[in-house]
Amino acid sequence: MMLAANISAQSSFELSGYWLPGNPRTTLLNGFESNPSSFSLLKDWGLTMLYGSDFSNSITSNLYLISLSKRIGSSFLTARYTPGYQKDFVFNNGQSIVLHDSTTQPLDSKFSYKELFGLGYSYKFSDKVSAGFTFRYFTQDFNQESVYPVFSDTLYLVRENDDEKADFWRGDIGVNYSPSNLISLSFSTLNLLNVNANTVDPQISRYELKNDKGFLAEVSFSPTKYLGLNLLYETSKDWMAGLNNFFNAFNGDFGISVTAFHDQYQTPYIAGIIPAISFSTKLFGISLSGVKYFSNRNVVHAFSDFQNSGLDNIINNRYSSDKAVLTLTFTLNTIPERSVEFLDVNILNEIFPILSDNYLDKPFAIAKVVNVTDHVVNAKPSSRIEGLNNGKIESPVVTILPHDTVEVPFYTIIPASYDKKKAGISYVDFYLNTTNEDPDDQTQKPILINGINSWDGKVVNLRYFIKRDYEYSMNYAKNILSRYKGELDTMSYALSIFYKARILFNNFVSNLVYAANPNAEADYVQFPHETMQLKGGNCDDLSVCYSSLLESVGIQTALVDYKPVNGIGHVNVLVNTQLSPEQARLITQNDSKYFIRKNEAGHAEIWIPVETTSLTNFEKAWDLGAQKFDEDALDNLGLAKGNVQIVDVY
Amino acid sequence: MLKIFLFILAFAGFVPAQTFKVEKLSGKASAQIGTSEKWTAVSVNESLPANSMVETGKNSFIRVDNGKIIFTLKGSSALPLANLKKMSLNDLILALAMEDMLNAPKKKQEANSKNTAVYGAQINGIKSPVVETDDFGVKRLNGAVQLAESGFRESAVVDAKDTYRKYPAVKNIASFRIYFADVLAGLGLNEDAYDEYKQIQSLKLTSVQAKQVKNKMDELATKMLKK
Repeated sequence: MMLAANISAQSSFELSGYWLPGNPRTTLLNGFESNPSSFSLLKDWGLTMLYGSDFSNSITSNLYLISLSKRIGSSFLTARYTPGYQKDFVFNNGQSIVLHDSTTQPLDSKFSYKELFGLGYSYKFSDKVSAGFTFRYFTQDFNQESVYPVFSDTLYLVRENDDEKADFWRGDIGVNYSPSNLISLSFSTLNLLNVNANTVDPQISRYELKNDKGFLAEVSFSPTKYLGLNLLYETSKDWMAGLNNFFNAFNGDFGISVTAFHDQYQTPYIAGIIPAISFSTKLFGISLSGVKYFSNRNVVHAFSDFQNSGLDNIINNRYSSDKAVLTLTFTLNTIPERSVEFLDVNILNEIFPILSDNYLDKPFAIAKVVNVTDHVVNAKPSSRIEGLNNGKIESPVVTILPHDTVEVPFYTIIPASYDKKKAGISYVDFYLNTTNEDPDDQTQKPILINGINSWDGKVVNLRYFIKRDYEYSMNYAKNILSRYKGELDTMSYALSIFYKARILFNNFVSNLVYAANPNAEADYVQFPHETMQLKGGNCDDLSVCYSSLLESVGIQTALVDYKPVNGIGHVNVLVNTQLSPEQARLITQNDSKYFIRKNEAGHAEIWIPVETTSLTNFEKAWDLGAQKFDEDALDNLGLAKGNVQIVDVY
Repeated sequence: MLKIFLFILAFAGFVPAQTFKVEKLSGKASAQIGTSEKWTAVSVNESLPANSMVETGKNSFIRVDNGKIIFTLKGSSALPLANLKKMSLNDLILALAMEDMLNAPKKKQEANSKNTAVYGAQINGIKSPVVETDDFGVKRLNGAVQLAESGFRESAVVDAKDTYRKYPAVKNIASFRIYFADVLAGLGLNEDAYDEYKQIQSLKLTSVQAKQVKNKMDELATKMLKK
């Protein structure tokens, strides 16, 4: 009578040694035994082969494993074929037949256990967390010889093979968590799912691999870039511990590893070690490992031993022999390697399309970018704002030191044709390129694009409204001035500027009948043609319009920004008469109505303040402008204190 | 931004808070109020707004009083009444900084393209007329000197600087320049005074003036070195 054997399905054991799980320098890509979640840092394709020899009484060589792996986005897939994961037993089942020549013929039992193939999938949720599962297919073949009598003319015995199969699927899940580069944790099930493909005689089923459920926990610690300590523990109290050391040489990584393992069904307590050496590059890896058991393996075991202690692991059990294993790995990376990554992108401000020139030298967004390589990288940032840019707008190249994080500014170009009046939420695509055509990294952020009339409230930026409607203003101003051609032609050129300013103002205000500005908002400014069409506006609109008319005929202007006092600010216009101080009496007998500024050549010129909201006449507007300028800018030292600012339009 | 009507309301009520009463008057005096183009004769007991410019004729004088300050402007002088005020030294330093700002040549702006119009060219061969304003400039300097002598040294410097900007011809009168440089030195503004003396050295100076300027510069240099 046979006793129940204690056989469990394949649990953790690595023929190539126990390396840092998921480490790209590890040559073995598909160690389902210690990695049921199929976690890997492979970037694209991977092919692995394990070939080795068993040093029993005779040396037998096997192809242990061949596998193919592929990453698709955040998913990682593996399929493996394991012809060498096999253990065969031949027993004398205790029965024998005596032949007619009195010789005895024993009857044998042959048990064969195989793991044929496996499939794995894992998903990377983030740089820290991934999870997955594996399915592995096992076959069990139980063959027993027996004799049975056949009654005919004579009684004779027939020898027959009873063959039973007990194939099954095993499925496990796992999760990996790497809170930092220093440490990594893994948790997995053991024998979570066991699905039988067929059933066997109850007499045989007791020799099947058991499916006791359990858990496996791993911790890997890398105190330095070149050192790894790994510990794996199963709820069955088996464990495996590995020490890895790496160093760079010949443009690759050399690794030395030693793994000790404990198996409750083997003696001594540490059943054996697996020393291994490896060399890996970006394209391939090779490792040579050995399995050395501390107990004598070249002995013949009785069937009763098998019945009593059973089989705990197909490739690592009390009947296993010492092994030497060569592992070859090839990696094919058709995915561009990522050298730089976005850590964060900060949109500095909403987009004001009118401030087009601003964005050429002032970034609209700043990104934090990290160089993830060991070498200096030149990152080419670019962006595309949906609804604003047709293509990518490149920003200056940034050089980033290895593993350094820098702030990268993003600039953009606002097309001159942009004329949308309504604001809207759009999005920006940010790209980082290094050596590849495809971006190393990209990200997307929402952004508010204001209408073309929107303004950021800074008087210095009113200049852009003046510039934008230059052609309209030029036609308008020239049309007006042509009516005074005779008068202007006979006038001193020096005085003509002053008179042109007066003619244009008087004509400008004569066309304005004050009407409440329908868009009288702090952040909305009318273009000159809109002010003329609407026949009104606030101080921003009127100053922009008058300044634009003057600039369009070559008269220099500046905007006077009276900073808000009690929340109320104001803008009016300064006009450069280009008269020298000695010529002041040509236009006024009152020296408080002008002030002197030096031009680029250092020559003093007379500038006059004009209050554009005075919809009366030039003289009155000049008086009002001068009074306010004298009081706020000069007498109260507003220019010195920063309460008043002169903003040159050009 | 302020809406139009708000601004018009603000300007409609624009009246300088302070007024000066003409207490005494001898000879000829006139005033230009605010931004008015006209000079009008002044009479005793007349109230003049603070934004008035007062001018006196030869051998004349006018005394004004705003309740806090009584000031007599002598003959051949002109003074903006707004400058009749006590200024702190800090305010003077700010005003001098503003002066430097205004006197600094305008910088080209890079953000916008340059206007294509031609500035400053003469057309039709007409020569630009020049009006001599020295007299009024001198009058204003006379007024500024009296302001300083009355204890309003800071306001006097501001007034003089404004005059020099608007009437550049009077910058060549060394005696005034030396006087106001002395005022700056007296206020302890050694670096401003030193710069002023240095510019004065380029004027036509009498030997006495030249020696005076040099001594002052040496004296200031010694003071500044000791700091």
